Amino acid sequence: MTAAIREALATGELLDRLWFYSNYHCNLTCSYCFTESSPSTPPQALPPDQIIRLAHQAAELGYSQFGVTGGEPFILPYMVDVLKELAAIGSTVVISNGTLFNGQRLARAVELADHDVAVQISLDAPDPIVNDEFRGRANFDKVATAIPTLTAAGVHVRIATSIEPDRLDLEQHARLCAMHTEWGVDEADHIVRPLIARGRAADEGMGTTITFDEFPAELAVSVDGAYWGPFGPGVTNGVGDTDLLLTRTIEPLRVPAEAMLRVAGGRPAGSELAIVCA
Amino acid sequence: MTLVTAMTSDTAPLLLRDHFANGDPGPLVGVLAQVPELCDVTLPFIGAALGASAVTGRRKEIAIVRTSANLACRFCTDTHTVVGADHGLTGQELRALRGEVDIDAAFTSRAERALIDWVDALSLGVGPVNPLVAVTAKGLLGDHQLVEITVTVGATMMLNRLATGLDLPVSAATRAGLDDLGLGALPPQAPTTRSSRKDLS
Repeated sequence: MTAAIREALATGELLDRLWFYSNYHCNLTCSYCFTESSPSTPPQALPPDQIIRLAHQAAELGYSQFGVTGGEPFILPYMVDVLKELAAIGSTVVISNGTLFNGQRLARAVELADHDVAVQISLDAPDPIVNDEFRGRANFDKVATAIPTLTAAGVHVRIATSIEPDRLDLEQHARLCAMHTEWGVDEADHIVRPLIARGRAADEGMGTTITFDEFPAELAVSVDGAYWGPFGPGVTNGVGDTDLLLTRTIEPLRVPAEAMLRVAGGRPAGSELAIVCA
Repeated sequence: MTLVTAMTSDTAPLLLRDHFANGDPGPLVGVLAQVPELCDVTLPFIGAALGASAVTGRRKEIAIVRTSANLACRFCTDTHTVVGADHGLTGQELRALRGEVDIDAAFTSRAERALIDWVDALSLGVGPVNPLVAVTAKGLLGDHQLVEITVTVGATMMLNRLATGLDLPVSAATRAGLDDLGLGALPPQAPTTRSSRKDLS
């Protein structure tokens, strides 16, 4: 079965990036957060040694990339060290709200410049009023300060913009692109993705409803289990979503990878949604 | 209301979607689905351990109802009382297995009495089985039936504790089936704790 997983990863039947839900708590309370994260959310953190252990198991299975998300990963004091270790095993991207990069945290984050780590920061609009409506007061100013500071230090920064697909404002989008170019973020590193109607977004009547068939075959692990795709380990009304749950077992990683391969085998081909549209 | 959330077709994990494709599979599958990889292997095992095989469905249901009654599992006793009737057990036999009437009057077949004694020894006792019960059961049932019924009793005890511990509700269909048989659902029991056991002794 391990050989079958390796082949599926090599042929692209399964995507070769493994996602880690490092934690669920966050310093922000975004209105569309599909994990319902907030400062009062229990951390539910994956132990750092387990993340690294799983990454080694993933590499043995044929995974070559890692993603780290939450919650806000940089709340965790050990996150930079974890990212460095992950990057030594495979190319790594970490999703961040970008609001904690000051003082000691900024000094530590700058160390990522020497490693194969991209810091993907969420920014939804080129205006504080529009952006902060979803992401909280002063979010825009903090992000607008953090991004050029990180890029100037040599850190690979990507920007993720979440939109309601039917409400794409081209003028706003153009201004956002001009802004990130000025900050030193390439167009290829600007990801525009649809809001997914899960968690708080669904409660607020926001986002696009997507079925399992449309999610790319990426494996994501959290303290609660292994899921189909990075949107799998969401939370709705305080309860973990299970519709994209594969297994509660996350280690050895072979167990959820085998389950994912089984499920992928029964999925119609070519039905994935193009979630990334730069 | 179960102690844990039972999965539904909307929340069913990916590996188990087939079990929910034709409607509510019941609370047992619903709660087992909380752990998909465990449910995935447990359901076939339960099917094999509790379903008819070389051992007839009637004998399997005798073992299941009796074990469940011995362990005071309302969910399994009531559910399998109805299933037992479907396998030809009479109302009197079912009442006897549930402990409501005399077992000797209801079951006269020597093999079925040996089966019930074996089930009682396994599900009520601790330590080795009484040699007389064991030898009689072996003689009347044979090795392979003895092995299979022992597995059936063990699997039933596992399900009894699962259903009782998680407070699984008896379904409306089972209640209707019990009414048809003229049998009432078992009454709720007070929780048993180590300290209350001491009090009882």
